[in-house]
Amino acid sequence: MNEILDQYFDIDLMVDNFDAVLEGFWITIQLSVIAGALALLWGLVLAVLRQLPGRPLLPVRLASVAYIDVFRGVPLLIVILLISGSLPFLPLPEALRIPRWFGKPDPFWYGVMALTITYGAYMAEVYRAGIEAVPAGQTEAARSLGMSHGQTMRHVILPQAIRKVFAPLLNDFIALMKDTTLVSVIALNEVALVGRDIQSSDFNSSALTLGALMFLVVTLPLARLVDRLIAREKGRFSRTSPRGAA
Amino acid sequence: MGRFRANAFLALLAITLLALLAAGCGDDNDDGGGTGEGGGGGGTLAVGSDIPYPPFEQGKAPNYTGFDVELVEAMAAKIDRTARFQDTSFDTIFRDLAQGKFEMVASATTITPEREENVDFTNPYYLSEQALLVKEGSDLKSVEELAGTTVGVQQGTTGQEFSEKETGAADVRGYPEGPDAVNALVAGTVDAVVIDLPVAEDAVAKQGGVEISTSIPTDEQYGFVVAEGEEGLLEELNEALEKIKDDGTYAEIYERWFKRAPPKEVLSATHEVS
Repeated sequence: MNEILDQYFDIDLMVDNFDAVLEGFWITIQLSVIAGALALLWGLVLAVLRQLPGRPLLPVRLASVAYIDVFRGVPLLIVILLISGSLPFLPLPEALRIPRWFGKPDPFWYGVMALTITYGAYMAEVYRAGIEAVPAGQTEAARSLGMSHGQTMRHVILPQAIRKVFAPLLNDFIALMKDTTLVSVIALNEVALVGRDIQSSDFNSSALTLGALMFLVVTLPLARLVDRLIAREKGRFSRTSPRGAA
Repeated sequence: MGRFRANAFLALLAITLLALLAAGCGDDNDDGGGTGEGGGGGGTLAVGSDIPYPPFEQGKAPNYTGFDVELVEAMAAKIDRTARFQDTSFDTIFRDLAQGKFEMVASATTITPEREENVDFTNPYYLSEQALLVKEGSDLKSVEELAGTTVGVQQGTTGQEFSEKETGAADVRGYPEGPDAVNALVAGTVDAVVIDLPVAEDAVAKQGGVEISTSIPTDEQYGFVVAEGEEGLLEELNEALEKIKDDGTYAEIYERWFKRAPPKEVLSATHEVS
């Protein structure tokens, strides 16, 4: 029992390394927020492209579907390794090959790219579920009022769709935040790598436990928020369509 | 609905079959090895090593080669065992050894007082120093000039410790493998790499585009590692090392990998287990 406590909850070690772990967690937060925001936007773009009408736009729809299928099916870790391992060698301007925007090191931006690419695909599917959940009557009504497809999307469908999928999107964000730890493999000093360094020098996992606790401080309230949003969404559904319960 | 169920059932069945198949293959492989611990294993010696780290360890499983690999194979032969190398991550290698995942570590491991608190080292088998590896034509000529730069290292190595404590580098990036750090240098994402000299020499010869701007004398000695309390194995390994140093096998392997004769000091080097 004492060994368990020693290995995972060595308070002295946690106190000694608190600043270092917190610094790593701060990088995790920044990575999550930036990649999360970009993935939300990119996912929306993909979802809208997927819904474009008409025969001439079929290639765009197909490309969007192909993208979503591919990146939902490819492990994030592989995407991270593909980007960081070879992007620096591609014939591109240096600011793109080795991005160091806003004073952040290049592994940070490789991580942002990989997370955006992968989670954009996940989130596009969430948006799609929202769009498809808006009753067809809404589209028909909007179109019969003379709105174009674009106007219908922007003013009628998307506002309702996004409200419906707010909770699952937040869920994906929590998953994204946890997956930022994968970026440690390309030497970004985020919380997992900081913890691993301490683990390898001290033979003790308490710094990683501390990192896990920091995650919980953020992810638990977010998970509760998701639950409440879902409950509220259900309430709205049963009030507005009392006969739609079946 | 019925059709959906049937499809789901078929999918489940397919997955189960695949899993069984995979498990079956796994069993076959396990039988070939044995963990080398306790009974059953008998003649094998399970060796943990972080591969690749050329020229010390390289090659594809299970045909690993390199200076460490050949030395251990020669030593194992002296004690009637067969070395079986197991690729593992360097940053957790001593913990894994302490937990008994393998019996010894042969992974270009420098003997340091910190490491000795947790594991035991054999007599030294290699004398090493670090190297400052830079891109060809770089103006970084000395350790002092590393102040404010980005330095790549392998996680958990003496090179990482040196870079963090002695260089004033703005950012020290710990990569999972040594070659990852060299790749980052070639790609231009780090300004320099601090790594064991022979590994740097190997990178210069094989990768090109990089050069050693200076060697960093750190007086490092590599030793093989066993878990604490394994005095019997430690003694056996020291005797085997002594034998291959005496009968010329050591010098032959050394010359094959480093293209020069081993220094006199290493042949007589000993190490007191603390």
